[in-house]
Amino acid sequence: MASAARTRSNYAVVLAALMFAVAAIFIADTVTDYAVAVAIFHTAVMLVATRFLGVRAVAALATACVILTCLSFILTPSGDYKIGLVNTGISIVAIGVTAYLGLKLKGAEAQVHEARERITRIARLTTLGQLTASIAHEVSQPLAAIATSAGAGRRWLVQPQPNTEKALAAIDRIMLDAERASEILDRVRRLARNEAPASSIFDLNAAVTEIINLSASAVGASGAIIDADLADPLPDAFADRVQVQQVVSNLLLNGLEAVASASRRTPRISVTTRLTDARLRVTVADNGDGLSSEATEHLYDAFWTTKADGFGLGLTICRAIVEANGGRIWTEASPLGGASFSFELPVARDDA
Amino acid sequence: MTPDLAAPTVYVIDDDASLRAGLADLFDSVSLTTQVFASVQDFLAEPRGDGPACLILDVRMPGQSGTDFHQQMDRLGVHLPVIFITGHGDIAMGVKAIKDGAVDFLTKPFRDQDLLDAVQVALERDRQRLAQAVSNASLLDRWRSLTPGERDVVRLVVRGQLNKQIAAELDVKEITVKVRRAKSMKKMGAASLTDLVRMVDELAPLEN
Repeated sequence: MASAARTRSNYAVVLAALMFAVAAIFIADTVTDYAVAVAIFHTAVMLVATRFLGVRAVAALATACVILTCLSFILTPSGDYKIGLVNTGISIVAIGVTAYLGLKLKGAEAQVHEARERITRIARLTTLGQLTASIAHEVSQPLAAIATSAGAGRRWLVQPQPNTEKALAAIDRIMLDAERASEILDRVRRLARNEAPASSIFDLNAAVTEIINLSASAVGASGAIIDADLADPLPDAFADRVQVQQVVSNLLLNGLEAVASASRRTPRISVTTRLTDARLRVTVADNGDGLSSEATEHLYDAFWTTKADGFGLGLTICRAIVEANGGRIWTEASPLGGASFSFELPVARDDA
Repeated sequence: MTPDLAAPTVYVIDDDASLRAGLADLFDSVSLTTQVFASVQDFLAEPRGDGPACLILDVRMPGQSGTDFHQQMDRLGVHLPVIFITGHGDIAMGVKAIKDGAVDFLTKPFRDQDLLDAVQVALERDRQRLAQAVSNASLLDRWRSLTPGERDVVRLVVRGQLNKQIAAELDVKEITVKVRRAKSMKKMGAASLTDLVRMVDELAPLEN
């Protein structure tokens, strides 16, 4: 796992390599004597294939291997026919068993992954559920007071002898409570910013690579390809490493969700680090459907979301974090066709 | 002890000062007397009048919560009908409160009319409770005005025994039973034997 780009091997490259290996084994098996069971090496191909390919591709490849093994048995010119027959039989059984076990293992891994993802989602929902409940409770207090005072004020005014003094007192209370409500909203807005960043000097590329590696299972499940284009050398960053990683992780997961909903292309996400105008820039771009003009406008608003099960806080928190770390975050159209999110961070100064 | 049934009081326990002021003003605007408290402790420390009343109770408060207090009210001798108000109530909480005898369960912000309606229902419930208490007290007074001999006679009369049988059982003359019986009916204000039976039935749970 030295480089993120290498861990997310290209589907086509793997397929080509496997085809080449199968062809080489076929040729070797055909030109050698019956006694040399080269066909057994097809099991190695199957092991690699179950790791990278889908169920159907593995089944097709296994069938091809079996057919080629039989074919090379027919074509092999020399050797003991009986030994050849036994060797071919063993090879075919080995290929079948390897493919079957490999696929079963893959299925079990997928289940584990799914369970883990569910747990993460539940944990996130619970935290946000508690957060929204406590915000709702806070805001409901001044609202209840406003509604009550408004009711009282109205009653003072509609009496046969309107009591304007009492009605004015009620209106004054309403104004104070409205102020109180907006103070609560201010507090909610500051919520994400409240955590003072613990800035340190760190290697931005290493931090980004860690996140790419950590999301490997989510990326693998979606079938997306991640192109990590990390500028090297890159000066160190001065920010809160964990918070920056939170932002990268959030943008990456958003990107995965965006490319997952756009099924017509090969899902592709690029992660780029650059030094631009003495500032460090991280860009996460995808080839999903991109953003509507409405989405672009409200992207960073709290509780605004296009996702059916989303809370609309992810990018709000991202922006709060980036700004707290002395940077900025912005959105543009991606060269890949979808959306692109970038944020800038300060470079660590030599005297810092 | 004759409570003044015409002057009801609304008690409010809520930790939010602004809402307390708003509620006091709202009830004032419909000519209801209000007493507001910031906590259950404050409420318990203050002496209460005898008139019909109800209690508006916030669910979540620092110190003792409204729902906790509601559970303990009977034990503390507070028999007021309760209306809950809460900043974030779920259905389960509301159902439980109503099952435990609350008049209503309102989520903040509530409509002032909804609260006033609930208060009217609660006060009516308390008026009935007080009227019942008054009639119980008067019944008990009348019962206590009977002599022990008269009470013995009444207990046997309501069991359907004849004067002759009662005289035999109490070892007195039949004429004595007749006199005590007539006096008891008069003292209790019973118009008929059926009336007396009903009164004795109502007395049974009150006597202890």
